[in-house]
Amino acid sequence: MNLILRLAWRNIFRNGRRTFLTCLLLACSLIALVLTDGVMRGMMDLMVETTTRTFAGEAQAHKKGFRDSFDVDLYIEDISIVANKLEADVAIEAYTIRTMSGAMMSSADNMAGGLLWGVDGEREAKVSKLKEALVDGSYLTGKDNEILIGEELADLLSVELGDRIVVTLSQVDGGELSQALFRLSGIFKFGMREIDSSMIFINLAQSRKILGMEAGAHQVAFNFVNAKDAVDPESATIRSLSTGDIEAASWVDLQPQMSAMLAMVDFSLLIVGGILFLIASLGIINSMFMSIYERIYEFGVAMAIGTRPSQMVTLIMAEAFFLALLSIVGGMIVSYFLIDYFSVAGIPMGDMEFEGISIHNNIKTIFDISQFTVLPLSVVALTLVAAIYPALFTARIVPSEALHKSL
Amino acid sequence: MSKVIETSHLCRYFGEGELLVKALDDVSIDVEEGEFSAIIGPSGSGKSTLLHLIGGLDKPTHGEVILAGTNIESMTRSALSNFRRDHIGFVFQAYNLIPVLSTIENIEYVMLMQGVPSSERRKRVFEMLDILGLDGLGGRRPAQLSGGQQQRVAVARAMVSRPNIILADEPTANLDSKTGISLLDMMKDLNVRHGMTFIFSTHDQKIMDRARRLIHLRDGLIELDEQRKEFAA
Ligand SMILES: Nc1ncnc2c1ncn2[C@@H]1O[C@H](COP(=O)(O)OP(=O)(O)OP(=O)(O)O)[C@@H](O)[C@H]1O
Ligand SMILES: [Mg+2]
Repeated sequence: MNLILRLAWRNIFRNGRRTFLTCLLLACSLIALVLTDGVMRGMMDLMVETTTRTFAGEAQAHKKGFRDSFDVDLYIEDISIVANKLEADVAIEAYTIRTMSGAMMSSADNMAGGLLWGVDGEREAKVSKLKEALVDGSYLTGKDNEILIGEELADLLSVELGDRIVVTLSQVDGGELSQALFRLSGIFKFGMREIDSSMIFINLAQSRKILGMEAGAHQVAFNFVNAKDAVDPESATIRSLSTGDIEAASWVDLQPQMSAMLAMVDFSLLIVGGILFLIASLGIINSMFMSIYERIYEFGVAMAIGTRPSQMVTLIMAEAFFLALLSIVGGMIVSYFLIDYFSVAGIPMGDMEFEGISIHNNIKTIFDISQFTVLPLSVVALTLVAAIYPALFTARIVPSEALHKSL
Repeated sequence: MSKVIETSHLCRYFGEGELLVKALDDVSIDVEEGEFSAIIGPSGSGKSTLLHLIGGLDKPTHGEVILAGTNIESMTRSALSNFRRDHIGFVFQAYNLIPVLSTIENIEYVMLMQGVPSSERRKRVFEMLDILGLDGLGGRRPAQLSGGQQQRVAVARAMVSRPNIILADEPTANLDSKTGISLLDMMKDLNVRHGMTFIFSTHDQKIMDRARRLIHLRDGLIELDEQRKEFAA
């Protein structure tokens, strides 16, 4: 092995405690970075999952213009165009077909406005949490006059299971008022005010009838097998659905505030990393200077007998490199186990609220290959950068002065 | 005889103002090939300072140091390093060795820097170990050697690369008298047989007794530059 590298390798073991502490500092920085990254990824996934998998779906298709106006007239007449494509698409896990319109509900006691969804119970259960959210009564079976409402709305209307509810709405193509009588068959609780206080679900077939549509629907919501596919707003699925007067979009476009939030998460990781790196590099510089001062006489001798300044730079940089190498090996092993542990156990985060949606699951850390490539490499790079100053200092040692600083 | 090192009007000042120390004040000496000389004088008279200047470890405040015909002022730090590596061997008073290297590695250090092939290195190292009575100590680290052994390793390192000149700053100061004498005899032998140039700084009577030239320093000035007749060839 090259003499300078051999020297560097042996030198770092001369003061075992200092080397250990420096490595500990570097390894802890790496571990903190990896965990922060893992938690952030976990948090992002949880947020995305909560917003998409609760009701909205990872992506949706509508007739052009519907998303801007929610005009009941703007419905997809031939739903099979969309449905066939989704059926054939292996990337799709499930889809559900929905009609959507504003409606007035009246009970014996009270009246309230809300959003009426006509859904196919079976399909809906595969895409949203509607079925799981049921706290009382029974789910939609497809029979006429079944209606599900939220707990808050049930309170407002003072209705119980089996009570009558009259729904009034305006039909498509002309806006004729239409009324239908339902019997409360189920009460749900999503835990989100928006849904629990104003959403009503009935069977798709009946909703078409009272809306005056023969077939068709306002919305097709769907989920991908792999949630990552939904992140691409221009994915093959989205592009193939967006033809003619139909437009499809993933949550990235449907929920711009969420995309913005995720960008912020990336930025905050950068800040955490920056601060960690600053602290770590000060620690490295400090410990390297201590080790250099201790060896200044020895460096004087080495330079006196012909070691070039550039070789001194190489020596110090190599020492830093070896320190970093030992640290990241240790740091990666520990990180691996921590990431693995918390990816199952999760980190309890208490209750968080985001966009009116409360998130109360544990955050499960998420493994990513970058945690074991980019992050360790950046620790090595940081260490080398921090070592530049001590290395240049060493190269400028004047042998006669160093020898004078003897003992 | 040709001049290996020439110096003229060397001044080396440390500090400034009230604290100004004139370690050397207008000193001119030339070093001829094959010399065996000692710089002597009381403590603080400037011996080490002069030796460091001669060896290019330091640059003078005023005056010139010319190493093998080149003024050191015109040499880069790197070129000066290479010059020291290839032409000068240093032995200091103590702690000459790199602690993490074994005896053999310390001795071959300069040759490794020079890129001497490994078979040649081994040959020369073992020759040196033999000459200096260090057989069997090749694998030890400096901490496992006595002061005298360490000093001999330092001498071996200085000589093994076959420099033109060896500068030794009080090489015997840490040695008992017997070890000191055997070291000196060996150096004298190298001087006589191979024409290697030696300059010492010393308080040691044993060195003074053997030196052909004594440069007396006092307060940074040459008091006397004495060629000893009894040694004249
Ligand atoms: N780097 C330095 N900084 C400040 N003063 C110095 C420095 N080097 C030497 N001196 C001063 O220069 C003077 C000469 O020092 P030098 O080391 O050359 O003496 P010396 O003759 O070798 O003494 P000794 O026999 O004790 O080794 C001393 O007064 C010393 O204090
Ligand atoms: Mg001295």
